[in-house]
Amino acid sequence: MSETTATPTPPPRRAQLELLVRREDEGFDVRQIGSATAFVQSRPQRVAAESWELAEVASRVAGQRSFFLKNTTTDRFLLLTEPEKFLWEQMDGRTSLQDIATAYVLRYGAFDFDIIPALIRKLQRAHLLTLTPTSRLRQALARNRRIPVAKALEIGLTALERINISSRNVHRIFVWMYRFGGFLLFTRAAVVACILLGIAGLVAGVHLWRDAETVVSGFGGHALKAVLTVKGLFFLTVAAHQIVHGLALVHYRRRVREFGFTFLHGFVPTFYVDVTDIFMASRKARVVTAVAGTLVHLVLGSLWFLLAANAPLGSFTQAFAATSGMIQWQALVVALYPFCFIEMDGYHVLVDVLGVPTLKQEASSWVGRLITGRAPRRFGRQEQLWAAYVVLSTISVAAFIAFNVWIIVHAVS
Amino acid sequence: MASPAETVAFLREVRLFKDVATPELSVLGDSLRERSLKSGQVLFREGDSGEEMFLVRRGSIVISKPVTGRVEQVLARIGPGDFFGEMALFDHAPRSATVQSDSDVILLVLDRAGLKRLTEESPRAAAAFFHALVQVFIERLRASGDLVAEVTRWGLEATGLDLDAR
Repeated sequence: MSETTATPTPPPRRAQLELLVRREDEGFDVRQIGSATAFVQSRPQRVAAESWELAEVASRVAGQRSFFLKNTTTDRFLLLTEPEKFLWEQMDGRTSLQDIATAYVLRYGAFDFDIIPALIRKLQRAHLLTLTPTSRLRQALARNRRIPVAKALEIGLTALERINISSRNVHRIFVWMYRFGGFLLFTRAAVVACILLGIAGLVAGVHLWRDAETVVSGFGGHALKAVLTVKGLFFLTVAAHQIVHGLALVHYRRRVREFGFTFLHGFVPTFYVDVTDIFMASRKARVVTAVAGTLVHLVLGSLWFLLAANAPLGSFTQAFAATSGMIQWQALVVALYPFCFIEMDGYHVLVDVLGVPTLKQEASSWVGRLITGRAPRRFGRQEQLWAAYVVLSTISVAAFIAFNVWIIVHAVS
Repeated sequence: MASPAETVAFLREVRLFKDVATPELSVLGDSLRERSLKSGQVLFREGDSGEEMFLVRRGSIVISKPVTGRVEQVLARIGPGDFFGEMALFDHAPRSATVQSDSDVILLVLDRAGLKRLTEESPRAAAAFFHALVQVFIERLRASGDLVAEVTRWGLEATGLDLDAR
């Protein structure tokens, strides 16, 4: 059996610039400056003190301290580890990266060669939260522009993506709405009312489920029109969902930066509200803000179910109300269920409670490394959390697909 | 000062004149004048006017472009048998870069009048000259593209800017 040894790939050659520097005596020197030299001698400068905020996030999983760093000018956020926060504090525009690295070694007794470049990349990017993400679909289309269909699709999606009706001057409107009634949503009475409505809606929903076929027959020959109307009404409640998120921000004295309508990824019409300012508030505030929006669907779904339960059996009103209630509750579940690889409200609550804001990314990355044999053979609490997230999400997505396939097969047969 | 025979012998080694016959090189040699530079001497600066191209007979030339303050980027180094400043023969724009000697240098200077004489007296030789010149232009254009890419790479590496992840 022969043994083969892989030839190590040499590191890429660092770029060099040849610079001519004139002397006072009219002569000159020519110097070769490598990019690596320039990098370690550069003096990173953080933005002015009034342009950023820092808030601590305590993890309940790994016992580590993390920090949200917010650029208050652009409203962009970064998540920093404690060592990264230390490095950030050194970036005063006077200290070179070489000196920062020395300070790091003196502080932590060791040096991670990747940490500074990685942090600089993070700081330069500062795109932890964005309302116009680049989807993988768009990346795939961009790679296949030579195919006419892909090109046409990309052009179409780009045109739709450009449709963005929004305002960054909405905070005062939300303050006004909060003052004139919105504050009632954040009282104990509202919580109790919500619970009672939820219970009543559940009872009504179970009652309706028993007569499901009779209820649905109420659509008669107008099923398509009815379903489209139900969807249209539901779409409007998405706006209500976002408005309640905004009211929660006002309740916690944070700022609503933007509210608008856009086509997410170019084909998902949606309303959105910029809630990033809540990251600077307490954990409770963040959780309440995330949950408050979804409760719109609980309340509306319950009201629709109650209406349906009290409408004449087999009537159009009953069918319409029951379908609307079902869609609202589906939206509630989808928004609150955190294990589906989608970062909805429930996911944000989960990661906030756990104190691991990048759970999905870290878990996916760890699984990728595990599959390719690059993950360390350690199965601590953090790895268990990642594994649990990936397994639960995979099972949930599989179950969701299987359920829908079952419905289609059942309907066809 | 080199003799006409030495000049012709030198021109025969210059890439621009590789397809030009000896008699015509003699005619061309008569149009050239010699100029010497001390080490570190500036021949011309970016923005100066000019209507001559230069052949490096001996020594080394550095072509640079001001970047900031006293710092300039080196665009090219030119050695014996090579040439520079040819753009001034064809356009009336100011010099696009600064040229200085890196050592004691001897240059041969060809001006517009000399080029005109060559064209009129020996169109075939002129055609060979222009053909070689175009080939060098193409090479330099490619090299410019490479330099732009290298400078961009330098900037990305020096700032740690990561565009892959964007």
